[in-house]
Amino acid sequence: MNTVIDVQHLKKTFNKEAALKDVSFTIQKGEIFGFLGPSGSGKTTTIKILTAQTEKTAGDVLLFGRPASEMKQSNNRKRFGILTDNSGLYTRLSIEENLILYSNLYQLPKSAVKEALDFVNLYGDRKKKISQLSKGMMQRVTLARAIMHKPELLFLDEPTSALDPVNTQHIYNGLRKLNEMGTTIFLTTHDMSEAEVLCDRVAFLHKGKIRAIGAPKDLKKEFGDESITVELKNGACEVIQNGEQDAEKLYHWMQSNEVSRIYTNEPTLGTIFMQITGSDLV
Amino acid sequence: MNISMTRIQAILMKDYKEFSRNYAVSIMVLMPLALAFLYNKSGANTINTYFLAINMAFTLVTAYVQCCLIAEEKEKNTLRSLMLSPASLGDILIGKSLFVFILTMVIVALTIFIVGYSPANLFILAIALILSTVFYIAIGTLCGLFAKTVMEGSLIILPVIFIFGFGSFALALSSAFPILKIAEWLPSSQLAQLAEALEGTYTTMDVIIPIATIIAWSIVTWIVVGYIYKKRMVD
Repeated sequence: MNTVIDVQHLKKTFNKEAALKDVSFTIQKGEIFGFLGPSGSGKTTTIKILTAQTEKTAGDVLLFGRPASEMKQSNNRKRFGILTDNSGLYTRLSIEENLILYSNLYQLPKSAVKEALDFVNLYGDRKKKISQLSKGMMQRVTLARAIMHKPELLFLDEPTSALDPVNTQHIYNGLRKLNEMGTTIFLTTHDMSEAEVLCDRVAFLHKGKIRAIGAPKDLKKEFGDESITVELKNGACEVIQNGEQDAEKLYHWMQSNEVSRIYTNEPTLGTIFMQITGSDLV
Repeated sequence: MNISMTRIQAILMKDYKEFSRNYAVSIMVLMPLALAFLYNKSGANTINTYFLAINMAFTLVTAYVQCCLIAEEKEKNTLRSLMLSPASLGDILIGKSLFVFILTMVIVALTIFIVGYSPANLFILAIALILSTVFYIAIGTLCGLFAKTVMEGSLIILPVIFIFGFGSFALALSSAFPILKIAEWLPSSQLAQLAEALEGTYTTMDVIIPIATIIAWSIVTWIVVGYIYKKRMVD
């Protein structure tokens, strides 16, 4: 596997206030990596450093094996796409005119605009002016712009924050398709369910530090217990553990047809985050 | 520097579409034309009055419109999006200047026609007008880069309009206030002086000095623009 992003001991301070304190992580080609944390935890600052919009204070930041500062170069900018919360769309132009501008800047064939519009389910609305769009539709246009040139690496800063469930699902499917085609995705979110659905690995960022990193499944195993809750038909709830004694109990309930529901007590990523940091994700 | 005609053309077309739908800014192109019409009707027919109208076209159209276009890009975060695309510094600056350059050429030509000015040497004057346009685009870009919003941009540009648009008034007062003689070296004053010289018998130096002065103003301003632009690329 090739390392697409390699961040080691990254520090960033703004007016003597530390936004990032010794952040280290790597992302391999083809991964969907979730950078999770509450507002102000340093997620956007990290994206800005990775895309050469902000300079780091200390540490090593490599993209595609080259220093992130080289991402300012015109040719390197074709290698990544970015969606931020601040759309940067021309409000007097239509959706299509905005995308045509960027297809020309990236020197793409005309078909790229239609493909991108289909990807975000906006082809039918392509003549609408940006000023007439809802926040969710603008988010989809920005996403279309970010993926239009089929980048090797895609930065998504809260990609579905303004979308309804149907369009969120549509975007998830599209992102998975892009990922299958080889695009590495760096996603920041505070939506834990989004991270669980999409990400191969996640990192919890809190107050400028990474508190945990790993695959959601592994984190759940590490921070959860192995208990099972059994809901009985008489309304009682029983928590049982692995072991002979509880196995006998469960066997008995099942044999006497008393079991209504059984589920594992696996923690959510949100619960794990709270457990590690002692604070909520919002 | 990596320059692409496709990218420059894309930015030019985008600016044209945006400008034609932005009535708050596009209405400004009528101001110098109205002023030229009034001068014509008032019977003012000196080089200084012609160039008052022409310099107004430079400040109100070239510098003001350029400043507003850049400031709006900053306000709506579209400049950052452009900077994150493969468009180079040259693509963006040339693309964003080309529309205002073409617009200025049309408005200055119309202003000259309306005030009824027929230059003695159109070729030399045209060179000076083109160089002046390049300078006013630079000063407009610079003001736009400093502004965070269009509103702020239209305030920042006011001293530019005042200093460069009315430089000849300062010269008229220089006998009472000798310090105002410095206004003689403004590009607007140099342009008027060149036009004045072209009407009579002129030496090579009468042409070279004003043109060299305007070029020097342009070079210095564009260097500052390049520096500020690169600083604005990062937070």
